[in-house]
Amino acid sequence: MSLTDTPIFGLALSLAAFALGAFLNRKTGLPLVNPLLVAVTVVMLTLSLLRIPLDHYRKGAQLVSVFLAPATAALAVGIYNQRKVLKQYFLPVLLGCLAGSLASMISAYLLCRAFGLEDALVRAMVPKSVTTPIAMAISESLGGVVPVTVAAVILTGILGAVTAPLLIRLFHVTDPIAQGVAIGTSAHAIGTTKANELGPVQGAMSSIAIGVAGLITVLLSLAL
Amino acid sequence: MNALTQLALLAAICFAGEVVAKALPFAFPASVVSMVLLLLLLLTGALKLRHVEQAASFLTRNMAFFFLPAAVEIMASYQTVKGSLLPLLAVLVLTTVITFGVTAGTVSLCLRVQRRRGKERAA
Repeated sequence: MSLTDTPIFGLALSLAAFALGAFLNRKTGLPLVNPLLVAVTVVMLTLSLLRIPLDHYRKGAQLVSVFLAPATAALAVGIYNQRKVLKQYFLPVLLGCLAGSLASMISAYLLCRAFGLEDALVRAMVPKSVTTPIAMAISESLGGVVPVTVAAVILTGILGAVTAPLLIRLFHVTDPIAQGVAIGTSAHAIGTTKANELGPVQGAMSSIAIGVAGLITVLLSLAL
Repeated sequence: MNALTQLALLAAICFAGEVVAKALPFAFPASVVSMVLLLLLLLTGALKLRHVEQAASFLTRNMAFFFLPAAVEIMASYQTVKGSLLPLLAVLVLTTVITFGVTAGTVSLCLRVQRRRGKERAA
């Protein structure tokens, strides 16, 4: 029996680590100092430096994970709020998300195979462009290593947020609608924070793309 | 409506989502079923925005926090990825660029077609 073998430990550590991440993100204003990235590092360092078993952390962490389901369901509110824009540009958004989701899954699969990665890793990488709860569920049903999926999704989001302005120039994407859908499809919720900085249309389109691309990817993964 | 009632509604929808997901003949994420359920309830007017708005906005604004435990689990599977870190990072970067390019290209093309048709109709 040790001091950390209680649910409140994992909960307190999670909250404190994330609060520190959010604080550093605000202070520095750097996209790379992502709150989640900082929090994961802080929790991992704390556990390994103080030799606290992962099982102790899990007791409190479970309480946090429970809220992933309602948080995902809550994305529906964002889509509902943008229903007018979505209705007007329904086909471009739908086709864009479809093409993007296909491109993401196929390129992830082929590249993983080309690099000779093992099966469980390939399956974990296939859903990497969609929002975490959806990607986790897909990875699990495909038989992938779920934590690898989560790490890949988060890194993808950060990468997308950091490189979005660069990619917009690289591909000469002038239309704000195309910019938004591309950010949301390739870099989900973390990318959407950048889309919101670029403009309200980009932000709205990006948040719609999180849900639409997520749904499409689930449907496509059923065919695998 | 107060925050706890809103949270109760969302939790009930998520529970319904899990029940539906279990009943489906194929594996489908329960959280996505719940998202579709909530969207349908809002679109049909069975649920008003004010019934869930505050709780939903709290959850989506702090979404990243709820992923923390799942991300920490990478510690447990570090041995699995240790040997493949570089290829995994390469896959991450390349697929992100490809996905962005394909999506942006498709949307731009569709918008051009849609607008041209709109103009033709107007003319």
